[in-house]
Amino acid sequence: MAGASVKVAVRVRPFNARETSQDAKCVVSMQGSTTSIINPRQSKDAPPKSFTFDYSYWSHTSAEDPQFASQQQVYRDIGEEMLLHAFEGYNVCIFAYGQTGAGKSYTMMGRQEPGQQGIVPQLCEDLFSRVSKNQSAQLSYSVEVSYMEIYCERVRDLLNPKSRGSLRVREHPILGPYVQDLSKLAVTSYADIADLMDCGNKARTVAATNMNETSSRSHAVFTIVFTQRCHDQLTGLDSEKVSKISLVDLAGSERADSSGARGMRLKEGANINKSLTTLGKVISALADMQSKKRKSDFIPYRDSVLTWLLKENLGGNSRTAMIAALSPADINYEETLSTLRYADRTKQIRCNAVINEDPNARLIRELQEEVARLRELLMAQGLSASALGGLKVDEGSPGGALPAVSSPSAPASPSSPAAHNGELEPSFSPNAEPQIGPEEAMERLQETEKIIAELNETWEEKLRKTEALRMEREALLAEMGVAVREDGGTVGVFSPKKGPQDARVPALRGISRAA
Amino acid sequence: MADAPWAEIREKFQAALALSRVELHKNPEKEPYKSKYSARALLEEVKALLGPAPEDEDERPQADDSLGAGDHALALPAELVEAEGPVAQGAVRRAVIEFHLGVNHIDTEELSAGEEHLVKCLRLLRKYRLSHDCVSLYIQAQNNLGILWSEREEIETAQAYLESSEALYNQYMKEIGSPPLDPTEHFLPEEEKLAEQERSKRFEKVYTHNLYYLAQVYQHMEMFEKAAHYCHSTLKRQLEHNAYHPMEWAINAATLSQFYINKQCFMEARHCLSAANVIFGQTGKIRTTEDTTEAEGDVPELYHQRKGEIARCWIKYCLTLMQNAQLSMQDNIGELDLDKQSELRALRKKELDEEESVRKKAVQFGTGELCDAISAVEEKVSYLRPSDFEEARELFLMGQHYVFEAKEFFQIDGYVTDHIEVVQDHSALFKVLAFFETDMERRCKMHKRRIAMLEPLIVDLNPQYYLLVNRQIQFEVAHAYYDMMDLKIAIADKLRDPDSHIVKKINSLNKSALKYYQLFLDSLRDPNKVFPEHIGDDVLRPAMLAKFRVARLYGKIITADPKKELENMATSLEHYKFIVDYCEKHPEAAQEIEVELELSKEMVSLLPTKMERFRTKMSLT
Repeated sequence: MAGASVKVAVRVRPFNARETSQDAKCVVSMQGSTTSIINPRQSKDAPPKSFTFDYSYWSHTSAEDPQFASQQQVYRDIGEEMLLHAFEGYNVCIFAYGQTGAGKSYTMMGRQEPGQQGIVPQLCEDLFSRVSKNQSAQLSYSVEVSYMEIYCERVRDLLNPKSRGSLRVREHPILGPYVQDLSKLAVTSYADIADLMDCGNKARTVAATNMNETSSRSHAVFTIVFTQRCHDQLTGLDSEKVSKISLVDLAGSERADSSGARGMRLKEGANINKSLTTLGKVISALADMQSKKRKSDFIPYRDSVLTWLLKENLGGNSRTAMIAALSPADINYEETLSTLRYADRTKQIRCNAVINEDPNARLIRELQEEVARLRELLMAQGLSASALGGLKVDEGSPGGALPAVSSPSAPASPSSPAAHNGELEPSFSPNAEPQIGPEEAMERLQETEKIIAELNETWEEKLRKTEALRMEREALLAEMGVAVREDGGTVGVFSPKKGPQDARVPALRGISRAA
Repeated sequence: MADAPWAEIREKFQAALALSRVELHKNPEKEPYKSKYSARALLEEVKALLGPAPEDEDERPQADDSLGAGDHALALPAELVEAEGPVAQGAVRRAVIEFHLGVNHIDTEELSAGEEHLVKCLRLLRKYRLSHDCVSLYIQAQNNLGILWSEREEIETAQAYLESSEALYNQYMKEIGSPPLDPTEHFLPEEEKLAEQERSKRFEKVYTHNLYYLAQVYQHMEMFEKAAHYCHSTLKRQLEHNAYHPMEWAINAATLSQFYINKQCFMEARHCLSAANVIFGQTGKIRTTEDTTEAEGDVPELYHQRKGEIARCWIKYCLTLMQNAQLSMQDNIGELDLDKQSELRALRKKELDEEESVRKKAVQFGTGELCDAISAVEEKVSYLRPSDFEEARELFLMGQHYVFEAKEFFQIDGYVTDHIEVVQDHSALFKVLAFFETDMERRCKMHKRRIAMLEPLIVDLNPQYYLLVNRQIQFEVAHAYYDMMDLKIAIADKLRDPDSHIVKKINSLNKSALKYYQLFLDSLRDPNKVFPEHIGDDVLRPAMLAKFRVARLYGKIITADPKKELENMATSLEHYKFIVDYCEKHPEAAQEIEVELELSKEMVSLLPTKMERFRTKMSLT
């Protein structure tokens, strides 16, 4: 199954020092899995806007609050589930989204103190502890990580200090989407991962300073490639399950647009783009909006590095979760609302790889005809069944066998005995005629069947007759000493054995279904 | 006004303008708006030097000022009042400062302050807004207010400001027309003022932006046609004023064609695509006045990518036009309906008659040579829906040409998804062409071509990454085999004595179709190869249809062996039963496949009886 829909969670943080000092009001409230937000500028009576997600995490208060959602709870709900999927062999992806300072990093990374670790450290630790528990002669594991940053459609390797410029994003039929030359480092413990992540984060900050950009405008993708090898001692065969765990820190919503991260159209408010350089974006959005129903267009701008990334996670065998971090403060109302809207849209994200179906009309008509034929047939039979007292199955009973509809093998012998089957759809079995005597019923039955047989003579039966004729002909020829080929063609007359229909079959053999 | 402050004012104003142009990232990281704040300080100084605004009569109707959208003045046509005399001049100068202050505040995310300044600017200028000195400033102030209100998500207010700008531009051009003063000029000495040509260029650019903002407003208001029209006009103006980057312009025009395709405005779509081709041809040849820098570095690569993308837009044009024709000409089982064909022909005749008037209404790109070049491309392909094989073939060939062009860039190695989409389009082109083909053998061959191009794709596609694509292709290949089988059956049906050769062929097609449906169904299994209890929404209907078709296919295997036939019936029954059972367990699934479910139910009730009789018969023979 494809992870067609995304698990979506939102989480609201406590006030920060600045908000507390400014006497901020909390505009976000949660009830079960629903999150509501009130507009601080509108009157109190105005109804709040509500959104329902898979999870709404109330982390605005502290652990004493029974409603409070801790780091552990978030991990248990989202991280653990994703990790289990990875063990099953799925690719998994966790996106974090939200305004800068809304608590994204806290949710993803957390703090070093006990109980404060975020999803990523908990997941890594859990991964390694599960691996060590599952150690056996047959099983072996390996873990590799990579860390990259996407800024203005450019991809940078955060783990390779020598890497300069933008890496290219490519797709390979077997390897899937990948970043060319991105370093992949093997790790054996969570400590290794933590070190690398730390390194990468530093590289990110340094680069950001050099280029006069803030890291909040870039997306960061940390990937863990998790390979499970299984050696089957009986067969001596090795099998391998590779799954990719992607942890994505999306650019802060407030700046993503101006930074040119047009890919996901993070902000889809009513904002007018000032510069004509964004005309392409506007036109593609317009074309896109029209094509929701039918996929009959091609929109060049649609794919950015990030949507490409999403595509990988939605178009493959994967599981995706997204966590949106919310600020509770009234001053951030607009941003928080836009984050909520974005998260709400994420729920509906589906890969556009819909399966095109052909109209079924012909098949349906054909089948309707067959059903009608069969019904007619069984009406006649239902008649005899009722006549014979509705016996369940009367195997050896004499009667006229109907030539099976569209079955080529039924001999055309309408005088053979009929079988009865009492298990008829009530819709036509109660259609019983007045009771009549068995002989009379039999007679009528045979008559009906003969008519139906003629009605039902399909081309297949014609074919059968032809076949029968051919057999006769063959027998005659054989008697005369002429050899006939197996497929019925006379030697040397018909097409060669390797007809075009055979040529296609080998092509099917190569299809691998292995994951 | 004394001379000394005037020189100082001028200097300060120029310095402020220079500062406000400093790119944000040149500021220290912790103070991204440093240059803006400095500019603001200078502007405030200038404002102080200009002295307080006199209590002008025009300032009195304060009540109006906060109204914004509701402001009656927005809608009223202006009357020409020249900004002459010291009072007027003072007002205009103050307005210029208010305008720059407004923009400055907006740039530093202080919207409310920005709004105040801009509104003040408008109030100062209202009387003179149609004058040569003020019209550009007035329009720009209104445009900025439009942007500001859009950020507040009050799109109607934004619309009112922007539409007022549009109207003012039109009125000015109609009644006056000479290139007006640019808002940067008011503090320049006469000798440094801009040349007429430069003024015109700037003013036109302001209006182009005006249209572009309106396009966005209409889009947010879901007035899509209007939005497209304004995008179209923006593109047209970029061409007229030679303010475009050919590659970018071409891709934008090609993208716009996709909007028109969806709206079934094929003439407009063709126009956009043809213009895209022509302008794309200018890449590297024409210097642009607009500094539209391409973000991507690798220019030759981008060139080929864009070329491929435009080709893909063309493919969609050909494909949609043909599919559209099919839709309007097919009967309820997808065959050509002769009555509908003549209906379409009549409709097309009407369309042709109205062609000129439609063309006049549409926005046309380019004039003179450019226009001719675009027409030359247009003439190569019809915008009318094809009504017979010959016409369809023309479109098919053109589509196929662009398929090859697109595949040059979108190769499987490196662009898996794109490549596959192009191949799928190619297959779709064949499929729709087959509809127009009357000869069944040739039709068969077209499906065979589809299979030949699709089958190899799944062979080396890793389903861990390309699961959905894989499924699409499996489903499509299965359907194509099914169609071929149906065609072969129809062909055999017409033969007086069908030989065993064709029977074998039919069975082999049947088997292949079965195989691909089965592959598709197997793709639903979890990593432990277990079929899911609950099928996901996105694949529910396809899964049920696949089951339905599999059931049907087993019923269609031709065999002379009664035992095998019985087996096939049993397998067929099993699959029908699966559908019925699944829908019983998951009632929500039933609505997805109402007709199919009904038939499956029938078959589940009828088939056992049929089999029973068959068995009896077998035991007797």
